[in-house]
Amino acid sequence: MASAETPAVPEAEAEAVVESTPPPPTEVEPPPETKTAGDSPSIDYLGLGEVVLRFLLFASAVVAVVVIVTSEQTKNSRPAKFNYSPALIYFVAAVSVLGLYSIITTLFSFYALILKPGFFPQVLSHFIIVDVLLLGIVSAATGSAGAIAYTGLKGNSHLGWGKVCAVYGKFCRYVGASVAVSLFASVVLAFLVLLSVYSLSKKIPK
Amino acid sequence: MESQYKSSGNGGMEVGERERGVAVANKRNMRGCDVVLRFFALALTLTAAVVLGVDKETKTVPVTLVPTLPPVNVPLTSKWHYLSAFVFLVVANAIACGYAAISLLLTLANMNGKKGITMIIIFFDLVMVALLFSGVGAAAAIGIMGYQGNSHVRWNKVCNVFDKFCAQAAAAVAISGIAAAAFLLLVLLATFNLHKRH
Repeated sequence: MASAETPAVPEAEAEAVVESTPPPPTEVEPPPETKTAGDSPSIDYLGLGEVVLRFLLFASAVVAVVVIVTSEQTKNSRPAKFNYSPALIYFVAAVSVLGLYSIITTLFSFYALILKPGFFPQVLSHFIIVDVLLLGIVSAATGSAGAIAYTGLKGNSHLGWGKVCAVYGKFCRYVGASVAVSLFASVVLAFLVLLSVYSLSKKIPK
Repeated sequence: MESQYKSSGNGGMEVGERERGVAVANKRNMRGCDVVLRFFALALTLTAAVVLGVDKETKTVPVTLVPTLPPVNVPLTSKWHYLSAFVFLVVANAIACGYAAISLLLTLANMNGKKGITMIIIFFDLVMVALLFSGVGAAAAIGIMGYQGNSHVRWNKVCNVFDKFCAQAAAAVAISGIAAAAFLLLVLLATFNLHKRH
């Protein structure tokens, strides 16, 4: 029938039909589950890196909390504890929340790595939102505790605030160490967010 | 049969074009949101840096040196750079303001969405989030110490004397906090963009 009519019109229509239906993808990358099912040496570096970083985050959060909670010191029957300062209380609360969140997400991403067929893909990509929020909270906590510790170390002659660390040496050392560890935790959290963004940008469409 | 081919062909082409049009419009909306947020962050960080950078107050306080003599009026000055946490906040805001300007220009120039530049911008946005939030935390901690004092370490409260100084500093901290939230929204928007692309 088409050959009997003028060839130009059906050719144009055929072109239109071909253009409207998208051409089938010639090179389809196989989804990761079938690729890695029989292919054991291929390691999912991004997933492994995520589990390692999250565990590192959990470890540093636990260390920071333990160090600052055991930092009590008494001199001349006047104790110095972390709960005498609202900034340090906020610091302990924020880092504890970070520790709890990081152990949960470590387990999630570990299961997602082991049980390869993309068990919790949606949840993992939503973790990045809470990651960035926690980065803000933990950075604020680090800043607060660091400011209080610095003021305790150097004092402030303009305001009449004395150097506390000259008296309470052990307390100041412990608080300083805890702040340093939580600074490391913030850096790890920032790298984790970058890793998540990078792996999100590389994801194969599901 | 020819008419059937014609209608399906035209309908299919229109749907495809409409989808492409919606995708381009979405990308443009997201890009527009990005530019607006960056401009907002630029304005806020500039305001916070200026408000805290001109914070100064002088008050004459009657001080009794000796109980028998009448109290002597001593002028006490309080400037923002007497507190290292406020210095940190001003510097952080200045850095964030400069970065917001540069990244605004970069985003406007990067309309076709090269992935390398986008990842660098996301990285520096994260750095700015951490920097600004830590500045806000530090200044807020020192401010609360100034408002309440701390009897355990014998640090007196200062804000009952320097109330205008403290109020201006609190305003600067609040503005800086909103700017930090704007940078946070920028990071979330960028990840949402990447997620939507798939």
